[in-house]
Amino acid sequence: MTENESPADIQLVAQLEGHDDRAWHVAWNPKRPILASCSADKTVRMYHYHSTSSTEGEGESKPVFSHSTTIPTGHAKTVRSIAWSPSGKTLATASFDSNIGIWAQEDEDDAEDLTGGNGEWECMSLLEGHETECKTVAYSAGGNLLASCSRDKTVWVWEVHPDYDFECMGVLMEHSQDVKCVAWHPTEEVLASASYDDTIKLYLDDPSEDWYCFATLAGHQSTVWSLAFSPDGRFLASGSDDFTVRIWERVQEHQWECVEVLEGHERSIYSVSWGKGKATSEGSLGWLASTGGDGLILVRELSITTPGESGGKSTLSDKVIARLPSAHDVADVNSVVWCPRDGYEDVFATAGDDGLVKVWKVHTN
Amino acid sequence: MAFSGALTLTDLNDFITPSQACIKPVEQTNKPDVKDPGAASTEIQVDSSGSYYEVTSDGTKQAGRRLETAQISLNDCLACSGCITSAESVLITMQSHTEVLNFLTNNPDRSSPTHKIPVLSISPQSLASLAASVSSSSSHPVDLSHVLHRVKAFCKEALGFEHVFDTTFARHIALLEHAREFQERKRGEGKLPMLASACPGWICYAEKTHAEMLPFISTTKSPQQVMGTLVKEWMGGKWGKKPDQIYHVTVMPCYDKKLEASRQDFYNEQYATRDVDCVITTGELELLMREKNWDLSMAVGGEDAPKRTLKLGSTSPPASSSMSPATPLGLGDGDEIELPELIAHPGTSSGSYLQSVISMAGDASSCELAVRTVRGADYEEYTVADRATGAVLFKGAKCYGFRNLQNVVRKVGRDAGVQVGRGAAGRMAAVRARGRGRKTTADGAAPEVDKGYDYVEVMACPGGCVNGGGQLRSPVQDKDAEGYPRDWAQNGVKVDDDSDTTVSGPKANWGSKEWTKKVEGAYWGGLPTPPPTPPNAEPGEPNGHRLRPSVNADLLASQVLFDLCKPTAVSSPTTSWHTNMDDEAEEWRRKFFRTQYRAVESEIIGLAVKW
Repeated sequence: MTENESPADIQLVAQLEGHDDRAWHVAWNPKRPILASCSADKTVRMYHYHSTSSTEGEGESKPVFSHSTTIPTGHAKTVRSIAWSPSGKTLATASFDSNIGIWAQEDEDDAEDLTGGNGEWECMSLLEGHETECKTVAYSAGGNLLASCSRDKTVWVWEVHPDYDFECMGVLMEHSQDVKCVAWHPTEEVLASASYDDTIKLYLDDPSEDWYCFATLAGHQSTVWSLAFSPDGRFLASGSDDFTVRIWERVQEHQWECVEVLEGHERSIYSVSWGKGKATSEGSLGWLASTGGDGLILVRELSITTPGESGGKSTLSDKVIARLPSAHDVADVNSVVWCPRDGYEDVFATAGDDGLVKVWKVHTN
Repeated sequence: MAFSGALTLTDLNDFITPSQACIKPVEQTNKPDVKDPGAASTEIQVDSSGSYYEVTSDGTKQAGRRLETAQISLNDCLACSGCITSAESVLITMQSHTEVLNFLTNNPDRSSPTHKIPVLSISPQSLASLAASVSSSSSHPVDLSHVLHRVKAFCKEALGFEHVFDTTFARHIALLEHAREFQERKRGEGKLPMLASACPGWICYAEKTHAEMLPFISTTKSPQQVMGTLVKEWMGGKWGKKPDQIYHVTVMPCYDKKLEASRQDFYNEQYATRDVDCVITTGELELLMREKNWDLSMAVGGEDAPKRTLKLGSTSPPASSSMSPATPLGLGDGDEIELPELIAHPGTSSGSYLQSVISMAGDASSCELAVRTVRGADYEEYTVADRATGAVLFKGAKCYGFRNLQNVVRKVGRDAGVQVGRGAAGRMAAVRARGRGRKTTADGAAPEVDKGYDYVEVMACPGGCVNGGGQLRSPVQDKDAEGYPRDWAQNGVKVDDDSDTTVSGPKANWGSKEWTKKVEGAYWGGLPTPPPTPPNAEPGEPNGHRLRPSVNADLLASQVLFDLCKPTAVSSPTTSWHTNMDDEAEEWRRKFFRTQYRAVESEIIGLAVKW
C-alpha cells in the first residue's frame, strides 16, 4: 500500500436534519437499528435504519435512515449526551439542567420490536444529584451501572435496579475541575473520567468500601474532552484541547501508561471513538476515529506488532486510513461514534454545531 | 463549542465560573491595577482584626495592601445558593481559635460592667477524638472523663474560661424534645418520616438543593443550640446576666457547626448576640493547647476522684448504673452550675437520635428489634415488630455519608410522593409518575408492600460525627490523610488489588477508617459499640426495679423547662418533659427548643441565558 494514497475514504451515507440548534451527541442502539441524537434544542431524535439488500455485492450496501420519533425530553436545558443501555431498551439523557433522564418505551412490545423505536418513549426516572450541568452519561458493559459527570467536578456511579430505580453507589470528587466525559471499560467495571483539569482518572469499586480512584493519567496539556477504550480493553484513547490524541496502555492490572501521542488535528479534539472496524492488517486493534473544532475526521487503524520468537516488546503502530476535512462544512464536529452492531463496523455517525447528524461509511479501496 | 461566530452564554457553561450565583458581587472602590484578566496573582488575606489585605500569592509576602471591607455579610453568604465552601471559609475566619484568644485577651476584668462571662461547652465526640489521640501516644488509655477534666483545667487555667461543660446534658434535652416531636408527628401533626436535624451539613445541603425534604426534617434544635439556650437563657438567668454578657464557645467535631451557630434563628436581636458566639473544632482546640504548651496527656489533679455532683452513666455500661444520691439540681455553690456530665445515650456515637425514637416504638416485652445492614455500617435499617403478630410498628434507618444520603432523599421522596430536587419541567414529572403507576399495577401486588421509614438518622459524614471534618486526624496516618499520593503507580508503588499486604494500596482510606473506629471506641469508653437495644429495654422500666440511668438528667431537664417556660398551671417543676403545659409556656418551649428551615432559592435569574 502506498503512503500517499489513503487506503480508504469516508462516504456520506445519510444527512439527518431536524435539530433546531447544535447537535451534541449521537448514540447507536446496540441491539436494534436505531440511531439517537441529542441537541441544544432539548430534544432527542430517533432514526430507524435498514440495509438495502443490495444486489451489487456486499460491502456496497448502505443503510437507509428514516426519522421515527422525537422526544421533547422536558429537560430545561441542553441535552448534552445520551447513552443506550446494553439491552437497547433504555436510553439515558444527560442535560445541562443537571439532571439525567431515563427513557423507555411504555409498551413492552415496542421494546421487543427490533425494527425501530416507533412506540412512545417515556421518562421513567429522573436522576438528580449533580449540582450543575451534567456532561456525560454512560452505561457499564453489563448494564447494571450508570456513570455520570458534571461541571460540579464530580463523577457519580449509579446502580441500576428493577423498575427504573437507581441507587447512588458513589460520588467521586477527585477532579479539581469540570468533568467532561466518563467511559466504561468494555468488559470490566473500570470507570474512566476526563476533565478540564487536564487529567484522566480511573476508578474501581472496592466491594467492602466505596468506589475509589486508583490512577490519575497526566500528560495532556489541556482539557481532556473525550475517552474511548479499545474494543479489547487493553488501551484507552483520549482526545484533548491540546490537539492530540493519547493512547494509554494497561501495563499492569491497575497501571496505565501513555504509549502514543497522535497528532493531526489543528483544533481541539472533542470526540474520539474506538470501534472494531474492518481490519486491514494483522494484529489490528480496531479503528479509532477522532474529530473536533477543525471539522476534520481522522480514522486510524491501530495495531499491535507481536514480538517474534526472539521475544522483545510488542509495539503499537498507527496508520491514518481515512481523513475527511470539513465534515460539517465550517461547523465544529462535537462527536463521532462508531456503530457497534455486527455488519456495520465501518459505519459511524457525527453530530455538529450546524445541528446536523451525519452518517458515514468507511470505504476501503 | 465553537468560538467562531457569536459567542453565546451556552458556550460559557464549559468554563469554570467561580460562584456564578453570588448575590452580592464585591465592589471595590480602590480597584487593584488591571492586569491580565484571569491571572490571579494576588490573594486576599484577613488578619485577626478582620481587615483585608491584598498580598501576592507567590509567597513573597510583601506589605499587603489594605482593602476596603467588602460588604458581604455572613448572612449574605448563607442566603446564597453558591457553594457551601465559600460560606464555610468565611465562617472559619470569623469563628476561629484566634478569635477566641482575641476575645479572651480583650475581655475586660470581672469588675468591669462590660465583662462577659466566658463559657465553653465541648461535645462528647470532640472529647472522644482527644481521648483517642492521647491514648494512642500514651501507655494507658485515657477515658472521656479524664479528658473532660483536663480540658476543663486547660480552659480555666490556661485560657481563663469561667465555666466548662460537656454538651451531653443539652443532648439529653434535645433527645427528649426530639422524641416529643416524633410523637406529635405520629399523631399527624407533621410529616413522616422524620429526619434528624442535628447535622448542619445535611441541613445546609437540604436547604440548598432539596427543599422538598424540609418538612420532614425535625425542628428540634441540635445539642449545640440547646446548649446555647441553656447557657445564655437558663444559666444567664441564674447568674443574673443578660445573654450579651456571656461569651459562649463550643467545641465541635464539625466545621459546619459554625454555620449552624450563625443561623439567624439563633441570633438574639434584642441583645445582638448569638446563642453560641463562637464554634471551634476539636482540631482548633488542640491547636490552642499546642500554642499554650499544654500537654493533654498529663493527668490533672482530682481527675480520678469520684465526682460529688451528678455524674451519670459515663463510666458504667449503659443501662446498668444506679442512681446517684440526690443533690440540689443544677445549682452548686455560688455561680457554679453543675450539669450532669457525660451522659451516655446508647445508640450511635452521632447522638443516638434513632435510638431515642426506637425506645418509644413499643413495649419491650412484646416487640422485637431487627437490624438489617443495607450498605455497610453507614446505612442500616431498624425495624420494630410486634412479636405476636409480626406487624411492623416502626421502621427507621441510620444513614451516614453523602452517598447514602442521596439514596435516602430518593427513597423518602418516592415513598412520600414528593418531587425530589429542584425538578425539571412539570411535564417530565408527570410522565415519570405515569411510568411508576404502571409499575405497581402491572405487578398486581398492593402498592408499597415495603413500609416506608418513620424515622431516619441522617448524618453527612461517613462514620458519623466521630469522623467529623473538625476532628483530629490519625496521628499515624497523618501523611496519608493529607497528602495521599493519588498516583500510586507513578510513585512506584505496586498497585495490586489482590495483595492485602500493602496498606498503601488502592484501599487508601483504610487508615482513616481504622482511626474512626478508635475514636468510636473512645466515645463508648472502651466498651464495644453498644448493640441496638430493643424498645424500652435501655432506659429501664419506669415502673420496674431499675431506675433510668438518666433519671437525674430528666429531673434537671424538667427543672430547665419549668424555669424557662414558666408554665402557669403548675407551681413546681413538672415531673416529665412530655407534660403538656399551658399555651404560652408551650410557645416558649418552641422558642427555646425548636427551630425552622427555609429553602434557599437560587438567585440566578435566567439573564437571558440561552440553553
